[in-house]
Amino acid sequence: MSLQWSGEQVVAKFPDVQANTMAVDCMGVWVALAGRRAISMVNLKKPKEKPLKSARQSKWDVSCVQWNQVPSHLNLFVTAYNQKLDLHSWKDSNITSLCSMKGHSRTVSDVSWSPSDPNKILSCSVDTFINLWDVNDPRKPVRSFQTVSGAYQVKWNRLSENMFATTHEGELRIWDIREGTSPVQYIAAHLSKIHGLDWNPNSKSELATCSQDCSVKFWDINNPRQCKGSLNPGSPVWRARYTPFGQGIVTVVVPQLRRGDNSLHLWNTARSNPVHQFVGHQDVILEFQWRKQPEGSVDHQLITWSKDQSLRVWKIDSQLQKRCGHDMGEMNDSSENESSQGGRESVSQNSMHENDLETDHGNKDFQRQMSMSPDSVVFQQPQTLEQEFELMNTNIPHIQVEELDAVKRTCSVSAVSRNFNIGLRMQFPENYPCSEPPTFEFLESNLNYDIKRQLHKVMLDTALMHAKRNTSCLEPCLRQLSLALNQPYNFRPEERKTPDPEPARPFNLSWHPTKPPYNSKPSYMAWHSPSGLQDINIPFPRTSGARFSAAGYLVVFGRSHEARKGPSGTEITPKALYDLTDFASKSRNRYPPKLYSIPFHQNYSISPPTPVAENVSISEWYMYRPKVTNQPKGKRKHRPKESTEVKPVLAPVKIYDSSCLLPIQKELGKNYIIDRSNIPAMCSHNAKAASAVGRKDLVQLWSLVALTASEKLKPQNNPDDELPWAQHPFGKEMIKYLFDFYMKIHDVQTLAMLVCVLWDRENAIVPPPKKEKASLLPQSTSMEYVPPNMDNPDFLSSSTDSGWLTAGSNLLKSFKTLTSHLQVHSTRPPPHTSVQSRLPSQHHLSEVSSHPDLANMTGVLKIRRSNSLSCLEDSFEDYRIEDEEGIKEKESERQAKIHENNCRLLDPSAQNQYDVFLMSYADILFHWGYTNNSKLVLKFMTHLPEPHTGIEFGVQCFHCSQDGRGAKCGSCKNLAFNCSICHIGVKGNSMFCLKCGHGGHTTHILDWFKENSQCPTGCSCRCVEAKSEITM
Amino acid sequence: MVSVINSIDTSHEDMIHDAQLDYYGTKLATCSSDRSIKIFDVKGGQQTLVTELRGHDGPVWQLAWAHPMFGNLIASCSYDRKVIIWKETNGSWGKLYEYQNHDSSVNSVNFAPHEFGLLLACGSSDGSISIISSTGDGTWDAKKIPNAHSIGCNAVSWAPPINPGDLLDPSGRHQPIKQLVSGGCDNLVKIWKEEDGQWKEDQKLEGHSDWVRDVAWAPSIGLPKSIIASCSQDLRVIIWTNDGNGWTQKVLNKFNDVIWHISWSITGNILATSGGDNKVSLWKETLNGDWVCISDVNKGQGQISDGQRSLS
Repeated sequence: MSLQWSGEQVVAKFPDVQANTMAVDCMGVWVALAGRRAISMVNLKKPKEKPLKSARQSKWDVSCVQWNQVPSHLNLFVTAYNQKLDLHSWKDSNITSLCSMKGHSRTVSDVSWSPSDPNKILSCSVDTFINLWDVNDPRKPVRSFQTVSGAYQVKWNRLSENMFATTHEGELRIWDIREGTSPVQYIAAHLSKIHGLDWNPNSKSELATCSQDCSVKFWDINNPRQCKGSLNPGSPVWRARYTPFGQGIVTVVVPQLRRGDNSLHLWNTARSNPVHQFVGHQDVILEFQWRKQPEGSVDHQLITWSKDQSLRVWKIDSQLQKRCGHDMGEMNDSSENESSQGGRESVSQNSMHENDLETDHGNKDFQRQMSMSPDSVVFQQPQTLEQEFELMNTNIPHIQVEELDAVKRTCSVSAVSRNFNIGLRMQFPENYPCSEPPTFEFLESNLNYDIKRQLHKVMLDTALMHAKRNTSCLEPCLRQLSLALNQPYNFRPEERKTPDPEPARPFNLSWHPTKPPYNSKPSYMAWHSPSGLQDINIPFPRTSGARFSAAGYLVVFGRSHEARKGPSGTEITPKALYDLTDFASKSRNRYPPKLYSIPFHQNYSISPPTPVAENVSISEWYMYRPKVTNQPKGKRKHRPKESTEVKPVLAPVKIYDSSCLLPIQKELGKNYIIDRSNIPAMCSHNAKAASAVGRKDLVQLWSLVALTASEKLKPQNNPDDELPWAQHPFGKEMIKYLFDFYMKIHDVQTLAMLVCVLWDRENAIVPPPKKEKASLLPQSTSMEYVPPNMDNPDFLSSSTDSGWLTAGSNLLKSFKTLTSHLQVHSTRPPPHTSVQSRLPSQHHLSEVSSHPDLANMTGVLKIRRSNSLSCLEDSFEDYRIEDEEGIKEKESERQAKIHENNCRLLDPSAQNQYDVFLMSYADILFHWGYTNNSKLVLKFMTHLPEPHTGIEFGVQCFHCSQDGRGAKCGSCKNLAFNCSICHIGVKGNSMFCLKCGHGGHTTHILDWFKENSQCPTGCSCRCVEAKSEITM
Repeated sequence: MVSVINSIDTSHEDMIHDAQLDYYGTKLATCSSDRSIKIFDVKGGQQTLVTELRGHDGPVWQLAWAHPMFGNLIASCSYDRKVIIWKETNGSWGKLYEYQNHDSSVNSVNFAPHEFGLLLACGSSDGSISIISSTGDGTWDAKKIPNAHSIGCNAVSWAPPINPGDLLDPSGRHQPIKQLVSGGCDNLVKIWKEEDGQWKEDQKLEGHSDWVRDVAWAPSIGLPKSIIASCSQDLRVIIWTNDGNGWTQKVLNKFNDVIWHISWSITGNILATSGGDNKVSLWKETLNGDWVCISDVNKGQGQISDGQRSLS
C-alpha cells in the first residue's frame, strides 16, 4: 500500500527523539522538534538523516516552539516552557540561545510570532495575561493585555499586522494592539473549551475555532454573533488549521479521545465535507504544519509529528487541492471524461465535487484513488427512504422506475426487454433499511412461475444481505434483477438466440499486470458492474483448510498469526465474495464505524491509498485493523508496520504426519508378509512386526490367527468325524467379532490381512451370469469335452474334475466350472508383450475387441473350435447318466456342501466385502509406494479385476503365410513377424497397426510415426488416424 | 503425536485457497488469489519449487490431483470461470486442457475414482455441475447438469466406486454406479447418479439452514454404508449416513465460525474440519458411533496459526 506512495510520502522515524512539539521554519527547510531534554533539528530536504540535537537542561517540557515568520529572520525561533520564553538562533547547525523572556506568572500556553514584524512575539498564559514582546528588549513585555480568564491560544492575524485573537475557554477575543488593553471583539464561540484557533490566510476578518464540543466553527469578526459555518467531525477537535490552498481545513481530534484514530482529516470548508484522511501515524499526532513550497511547485506538503516518534511528510497534490476547492486555473484533457462520469454520480450529492476534478494522467496512483474511490459515491448511505429515492441512479439497464412514493413507502418499476415484460412493486417496511428487507410483488409479467420465483429469490437474497448490514438496497436489488433478466441461460422465456450480454468483467481480487487505464471506467461502474453483484453468489474464499492427502498426510494451510479474522475480529466470516467487495469500500476510510455515525464521513479518500475495489485483495480483509482502543502502550511498538505487505498474512503450508491417527501402519504395510504355505511362520512374523510398531492388539490377533489356522484344527473330510473348528465359539464366531471390531475402527489393513490368511477364493459363490443363461445353455454341455490339443494342464484338470457333471441338472456347478475355466485364462499374463502381428481379417478383430462380453465371447470361440458332431452325441449320454444317478449325487453333494460351509472360517456371502478390503488396502499400499505388496494383496481377491485377456493376436507368417501364434511360425519355424522398417524378424516387443496389421520393432515404429502418419509399408493406411477409429 | 514433517513457505502473493498432496505424498500443489498455482517437491522433507503455473485470470479456488495412472495431472478452477487441467510431460508442466463452459466462478473440482477413468466434476456459481471426461487420445467430452443448485454450486465430491449394497450380497458384484454429491447456495446437499449416460438427481438432503460450503463423500474401506460430510455457513457440520435404509443425518458440531473445508482421512475414520476462524479440528468416530473431537482446540493446539507443532 504505502509502497506505491513511498516516493510521495516520507516517513522518518526518530526513536531517540522525545519531542512534544514541532515547528516548521518559514522556508520549509528545518523542522524543530522540541522536548524536555533536547531540541532536535531535522532537515526536510534530507529527512532520513539523523537529526541535529542540542541538549536542554531543564525540568520543564517545551510547551510550544515557533519559528520566526519573516524570511529575513528565519533562523530565529522561540520556545516556551514554564513561565518563560527563550529565543534561539539556528545557524551553522548550532542553536544559540539569544535571550530569555519572563513575564508570565503561570505556564505559557501559546506563542505567536508576528507575520510581518520579525521582532514581535505574542505569548499567552492562563495567568490571564497576553504579553507582546519585542525581542530587542527581552526584559519585559512591550505590552500586556489582561482579561478575566486565562488565555489558552493566541494567533496573530496573518494579513492584518495589528490584529490577533486569543481563546478563553469557550470564548474568542479579537485584539488590536493599537486599541488599548481591551479586546475589540468578543465572540461567544463555543459552549466548551476551544482547543485551537486559526486565521484564514486569505481573509483578514475570518478565523476558525475548534472545540471540545465536537465542532469547528468559522467566524467573521465583523459579525461576531453569527457563526459563518461549521463542521461536525463527531469528536472533540484538537486543532483545525486552514490549508494554504483552496478552502480546505485540516483537523485532528483531541488526544485523549482519539486513541484508535491517529489520522488527520482534510475538509472542504465550502461543502462541509471531509475529502481526505491521512492515515499512518500509530500514535497521537502532536503537531502538524504546512511546509512552504518552493516557487512554482504545485504540490503542498503537510508535516506531521506524532507521539510514535515519526515525522511524516504528506503530499497534497493538485487533485486533492482541487477537492478543497482550490482552483488551479488549468483544465486538462480528461475533463470530458470526468463530466461524463458526473452524470452517473448524480446519485450522490456529496460526490459532486468530484465532477470538477481534473484527472492527471501523469499520476496514476492518484488517478486510481480518485476514479475508483467507491465509497465516495456508492456507499454513501441515505438515511431515509426519501433520501434513498432521491439519490438512486435510475439508469439501470432494462429497468424503468415508474413510481417512487416515499409516503406510501412503495416503489414501482417495470422491466422491459426483448423477451420479457415485468411489473414489480416493492413495499418498504417502516424499519427499513434497519434489518428489514422490502417485499417484492410481481404485478404483471410474461414470465412463468419458475422464473418469477427465481427472480424473486435473487432480489430477496440481495435485500436480505443489505438488510443484515442495515443498508439500503433498492438500487442493488434492481440491478440484480436487471442482471438476472439478462442471464442467458436461466431467464429466457423462449428459445431465441439473443446476443450474449457483454461479458461481465470478473471482479479482480488482486493485482494484475495488465490493468485497464483507471480512468477508462467511471467509478460508478466499478461497483455496479454486473460482476460485482454476481459475486453475491460466489462463496467467500476459503483462506484456511486442512486436507488429508495421500496416505496419512494432513496438509494444513491458513493465515498467519498476524492475520486477523477480518475487520472486526469477532464476527462470523461472511459468506459471499460480495462482502469482500463491500469491505473494500469500507476499508478505504478506515474508520472504526462506531466512532463516526454521520454518514457522509465515508465520503472521502485516504492516504496512503488502499487498494480499491477493482483491486482489493483477500489479504486486505485479514490485515485490516481497526485502530486499537485499549491496548497497553508497551504493546504498540510491536505492532507490525503500517505498510501491510501481503506475505505476513500467509502461514507456511504445513504437512503433518497424521498417520498415528489412522488405524493403519505404514511400517506394517512394509513388513507384513503373506505366506499361505506356512501360516504359523507368517503369523509369528507379523506378530513381531506389530509388536515393533507398538500395536499390542495385533500381536494378540496374530497369535490367535496362528492358532485358529493351525494344521491341527484342519477340518476332517468326513462330516461325521468331529465338528469342524469353525463351529467352535473360537472359530467362525470369533473371527466374525474380530472383523466387526476392526471394521468399527476402520482398520482396513488388519481386515485385508485377515482376508488374505483366512479367505479361500475357492469358497467363493459364483453367481450365474444371468444374461448369458439362454445362449450358453446348449453349449455348456460341450464344455466338458476339452479339445485334446489344448495344452493347458489347468484346463485339462478342471475338465476332468467336472467330467461327471451334467449340464441340465446342476446348472450352477457347470457355470462355476465355466467361470473358473475362464479364470484360468484370465490369470495368464496379459498379452501386452505377446507377439502381435498382421491379421488376415481386421474386421473380425475389431468386432471381437469391441464386444462387451469379450471374455465370454472368447470362451465361446474356443469352445466352438472344438465343437464337433461327436461331442454332441456324447453329451446326450451325459443326460442319460444323470437321470439314473442324479438324485443320489445331489444329496451327497448337498451334504458335502454343508460340511464345507461348516468348515469355513469366513462367511462367503460377504465375499464382495472382502474384495473391497483387499482393494482398499492395496490402494493404500500403492499410496505408500509398496507396489509389490499391493499386487500381492490383490491376488487374494475373489473377483479379479476385469480380465484383460481374451484377445490374442494371431500372426500370419511372413515366410509361409500360415496363421499362427507366438514369435515363431508353427510350420516354417522362422520368426513369423517381420519388421516393416528393418525387415528383420521380431522377437521382442512389437507394435502394429490395428487396421492394416503392419508394424515391427517398437522403437522403429515409434520413430517412424514421430514424423509420418502413413504406414511404412506404403499400403496407404493412415495408421495414426486409424488408431482412434478402432476403440480398444 | 501428529507432527509437522514439512513446512513450506509458498511465497504466494496472496491468500492460499487450497493445498493438496499428490497420490504418493511427494508433490504439493497450492493455489492462491495471486492467480498462480505452485507445485513443490516435498519428497523427504525438501521443499523445492517445481513450477509455477499461470493461466488463470482470477483467484484459483481449488485443485485436484488425478490418479497417477493418468500421469501427473492436476486440475484447477478459478474465479475466471475456467477449469484448467495441467499435465507434466518430461518434467515440465503445461496446460493440457482448458474448459470454459461455465458462466460464473468455478468453485470446486474433483477427480472421479480412477476406476471410472479420467473424469472430472466441476461445480460453479452459475449453478451447474460439469462432468468432463477424457477419452485418452486428447479429445474431451463434457456433460453438464444445468441448474444443479439454483444460486450456485459450491462443492462437489465423488462417491467411492463401490456400491455398499453389493458388499453383503453374495449374488455378485455389479458395475459400480458413478455417483457424486454436491452442495450449494440453496442450502441443499444433492446426490447425483449416472444412469444410461445421463446424470440424474438421486437424493436431496435437507438439513442445513444456510449455504453449504463443502461436501465430502467418505472413502469406502468395505463398510456396508455410505457416509457424506457436509459443512455450511450455518456453522454446522452434518454427517449423513446411509446403511441401505435411506439417509440419516447427525450434526457433528455447531462451530463458532463458518466451516468451509472438510476432509476425510484415507480410512474414513477421521474428519478434518476447518473454517473462518483459521482453526482445524479433527473428529473421530468412537466405537459406539459418536463423533468426538480429538484435537484439543481449546488449548490452542489445533490452531494452525500459532506455530504449535501438534494437533492432538
